Parts: sequence; C-alpha cells; structure tokens
Amino acid sequence: MAILLELVLSGIMVGSIYALVALGWTLIYKCSGVLNLAMGELTLIGAYVCLTYYQWGFPFPLALVATLVTGFILGLATERLFLRRMIGEPILAVIMITVGLSFFFRALVGFIWGTDTVVFTPPVFPREPLRFFGMVFGQVYIWSFVAAIVLLVVFVWFFQQSRWGLSMQATADDEMAALSLGVSAKRVYALAWAIAFMAAGVGGTLLGNINGLNISVGYLGLLVLPAVVLGGLNSVPGAIVGGLVIGVLQNLSDAYVGKLTQGGVKEIAPFAFMVIILLFRPYGLWGWVKIERV
Amino acid sequence: MYLPSGVYHETYAATHAWWQTGFVRGKMALLLLFVFTLPLYANLYVVSVANITLYTILGALGVQLLIGYCGQITFGHAAFIAVGAYTTAMGVLFWGLPYPVAAVLGCLLAGLWSVVFGLPSARIKGFYQIMTTMAAQFITVDFIITHYVSRVGGREHYFSLPPGTITIAGWPVDSEIEVYYLAVILTILCLAGMANLLRTRVGRAWIAIRDNDIAAETMGLNVVYYKLLAFFAAGVLAGVAGAVWIPSLLFVSPEHFQLSWGLWLVGVILIGGIGSLHGVVFGSIFVTGILELLKFAIIPLSEFYPALSERFLYVKEAAFGLAIVLFLLYEPRGLAYRWQQIKNYLNLWPFAY
Repeated sequence: MAILLELVLSGIMVGSIYALVALGWTLIYKCSGVLNLAMGELTLIGAYVCLTYYQWGFPFPLALVATLVTGFILGLATERLFLRRMIGEPILAVIMITVGLSFFFRALVGFIWGTDTVVFTPPVFPREPLRFFGMVFGQVYIWSFVAAIVLLVVFVWFFQQSRWGLSMQATADDEMAALSLGVSAKRVYALAWAIAFMAAGVGGTLLGNINGLNISVGYLGLLVLPAVVLGGLNSVPGAIVGGLVIGVLQNLSDAYVGKLTQGGVKEIAPFAFMVIILLFRPYGLWGWVKIERV
Repeated sequence: MYLPSGVYHETYAATHAWWQTGFVRGKMALLLLFVFTLPLYANLYVVSVANITLYTILGALGVQLLIGYCGQITFGHAAFIAVGAYTTAMGVLFWGLPYPVAAVLGCLLAGLWSVVFGLPSARIKGFYQIMTTMAAQFITVDFIITHYVSRVGGREHYFSLPPGTITIAGWPVDSEIEVYYLAVILTILCLAGMANLLRTRVGRAWIAIRDNDIAAETMGLNVVYYKLLAFFAAGVLAGVAGAVWIPSLLFVSPEHFQLSWGLWLVGVILIGGIGSLHGVVFGSIFVTGILELLKFAIIPLSEFYPALSERFLYVKEAAFGLAIVLFLLYEPRGLAYRWQQIKNYLNLWPFAY
C-alpha cells in the first residue's frame, strides 16, 4: 500500500511538470487554433538556455527568471516570423509548420549543445532524499512540484484576473466578438506563444534537473499530446488534470505492467491510453463536444 | 492539357495515352535511358545518393496516396516501412524464404498492419487521426519491434544482414549498383501503377473522399471501404520501400524507422507538392539531393567554423525543417506546381499566354 501511495505521489510530482507544459500547449490551441507539435523542442530549448545561464554562474532562481525572459522573446519572434501568416490555413499546413519548426529547433539544439547528457553542476537541489511516513522522495521531485504548482497558479491567476488574460479568454471564446470589442488578436496570439515558450522552458529545466539533460527531454513534448487529449484540447483545467494523470499512469504502468513485458511500457502507456480515449471519448474530459465525425 | 496545334487524336485510346506527342515520348525515353545507364558513368557515391532518393520516393509514394489523394493524414508511415523491412529480413534470415517471396510477404503484412491502424479513420479525422497514426508509430516501432521482434534469434536490437544473404534467383543483391537497379525497376513499376490506379474507379473514389467525404458518401461510395483500401495500398507501398531498403543495409535496426522518418516523408511531399506524383519525385530529389549538395557548400565555411561539418547531420536537419517552413509560407503548392508553371511558360514562349 505504501508503495502504491509512493508511486502515485511521485507520479503527481512529475505529472505537475507535464501539466505545466500541457498548459502552454492548450493555450496556443485555445487562442489561435494551432496544434503545436514542436512543444518538445520548446522544452529542449528552454532547458538548455537555463543550463547555459546556470553555467555562466547565475544563481538558479535568477537563471530561471532569465529563461522565462528568453522564452518570452523567442515566443514572440516565432509567432511573428512563422505562425502569423498561417492563420486560417488548412490543418495539415499549420501542423507541418510546427513539425518543420521542431526539426529546425531540435537540430539547432543538437548543433549548439551536442548530444551528450549534461547535468546541472553543482546540483541545484540537495541530493539526500526526504522521508515521510516510510515513503522516500528525492528533493528534486518535491522542489519541481512546488515550482510547477507555483507557476500553474500564477498562470491560472493571469487568465482569470489580469486584463491580458481576460482578453485571451475572450479571443478563445469568440474571435469576432473579441475583435469588435477592441482586443488585438495578434497580440493575443503572440502572448500565447510567449507563455507556451515560458512554460515549456521551466518544464524542461525541471525535467533536466531530475534525469540530466539530453535531446530525449524533447520526448516530453509528445507526452503532452496524450495529456491534452485526455483533458480535452481546449480546456485549461483539463490540461492540468491530464498532465497529472499521465504522470501517475506512467509510474503505475511501469511498476505493475512493466514486469509482465520486456520493457518500454513506461514510454508506450500514455499513447496506448490515448488511443483508448480517442476511441471512446475523443473530446476528452472537458473539451468542447464539437469533434468532426465522418 | 497542353497539346501543340496540329495534333489530332483519332481514337479514344490515343486521347487517354500518357505520352501524346513524339516530343514527350522522346523526352521520356531519354529520361529512362539516363536512369538506367546512370551507374555506368556516375561514381559509387552518386549511386548511393540515388538509392536513398529512390527509397524516399517509394516511402513518400504511400504518404502521398494517403495525404494527397485520400485526405487521410498519416504521421506513422515509418512504422509500416518497418513492418515491411522486418518481415522481409525475418523471412530471409529465419524462415529460409527466397528474397522475392519474403518481400511480397512483407508488403502484404505491412498493408494489413496499416489497415489495422486505419480502422479508427472510419470515425475520426484531422488532428485525432494524426494522434492515432503517431500512436501506431510508437506501438509498432518503439514497443513491439524494439522489445519483441528485435530479440528473435537472440540478437540484441538488430538483425545483421551479412553480404550474400539477399539473392534474387541466385544473383546476390549486395553492392550499391545492384540495389540501384532493383530500386529503379520497382520505383518505375510503383509510380506507373499508382498513376494508372488513380485513373480507375478506386482512384477517383479516393479523390472524391479527399475533396469532400460527405458528398462522396451521398454519391454512393462506401467511404470506410475505400479509406481502408487506401491504407492497405499505402501499407503495401511502404512494404515495398522497406523491402528495397534492406539490401543496402548491413543490419536492420529500429533506429532506421523512427517517428522523425515518417515526418520526414510528409515533409518530402509538402516540398514536392501535395496531390501530385511529380511532387513525390521532385520532393525526394530536392530533400536528398539538395541537402547532400549542402555538404559541399559548407566545406569552404568549415575552415572557419569546423563544427559545421562535424555536426553536419544537424545542419541538414535544420535545413530540412527550414525548407518545410519556407515552402509552406512562400510556395504552398510545392515544386510540382512550379514545374507546371515553367513548362507552361516554355510551351507558350515567346507569348505570355
């Protein structure tokens, strides 16, 4: 029983990072209708940028803030250069733009930083694990969880309360009405990409702290897809819950199903789960029931 | 269709001919001659690049069929190529089948496997279809092949194919030149088959489904049947690609069939032009040939910045990603459209229209 609880809790902790990245994904989809397949590469870039700042001698919190600023600028630039012209194009064209960007960004990361696994040295978080009621957690997990939750709260507050967040919600709800009320849709799109870059950057940094950083951190960007499909593509709470569930699901399937197979269950389980959701409830938990059927 | 004045057809067969004038027939004969004599005067490096191009053409042909002609988006085509390649390799290595028989088996199995993952297309399309085909990729390659199929025969993660393993009627297919001739013949057969298939009832049904599936259904087409047929045909083409690819490999490994290869093939048809067989060929030549030329272009630069050639793989991928983005932004109809424009211009020259 303690093992189960430990698996679930550590799954939630990793899942909170997924939730953060999934939030960025959902935001772009909600505001501009772009299905972004380059999310993994955004996390890669953010993680490596943060690592670079850290190696320059910035203290970690400052490096994280600097990553946020860099992500903001990169997001604005990406949206302006590549995505703005694609508004209203067919779905395949928009998706392939993000696929092209993902090839480009991943190659850029490989070119600049190489393929070897690098770790944050000196370690950001203390190594000795914490114990609660007989359960053991690495401190890095707990701190990642705290950081992810803080950022999630900040982002959700931003949507619910701030002027910019409200204009984003308005655009997502009805673009024409928002435009006629004086909301600049272009700024909303740019802001959505900037926030997605920021969220992905922090998520990548936290994951890089857990397992070390190499190009496979970009795999996270694909894990976001099962999370958002589960939550419903255009639902912010759905993205958060989806991320947490995928984290738990990965841990549980690895521990319980992994024994029966020859390995690889941890990587596959989210996608197998996603196929099942797509078959029975393609709009997810809280998505709009507007799926186009054949 | 453009015809010079003075050409009159007297039979229906002549109006439907692929090559209608002597000029076109001569041009195509020259092209065939060039393709079949290429290894005589090109060095082995050029032939190996040509082999990769032909493999890309065969792979992208199935993607073009699904995306360009039937409107079914697939991002997991590498998985079906993998099924073809692995079945062929296993047939030759473990079951003692002759290579052609194993290849046919591989094609059929790839087609059936493709139908399995095409089944959800009966209910979903667009983004959700992309998700299911990506799931097909992960389940097939990263799970079944990596963790189960690769361990057949006690070898870790790859099947080695020593020279002399693959023979056609006693002839070994080992060197680049032999692979080249095999690939050229199969590519021409597949291209001709596809081109003719698209003019039959089946092909027109696919195009109708692509343009508007609801209208197609009201016209009395069995949409699900034709979609699954498209998945089957695309899977068979992927199987051909896989079977052709393995003689030029020293070993078959899951590394050859990652998700990025499936995405690469979609990029190829985007650059070439969606919904055009010329597009498949042009896209493959562009992506393989031009990116290979890039290698020579950066040699002078690498004196100042050696990382450029040390990490050339990344330069190539970045160029490919940028090419997709730029084509979508500035030439969304691809190279095939530009080719038509150039031909029109030359046909009408010196007049504008």
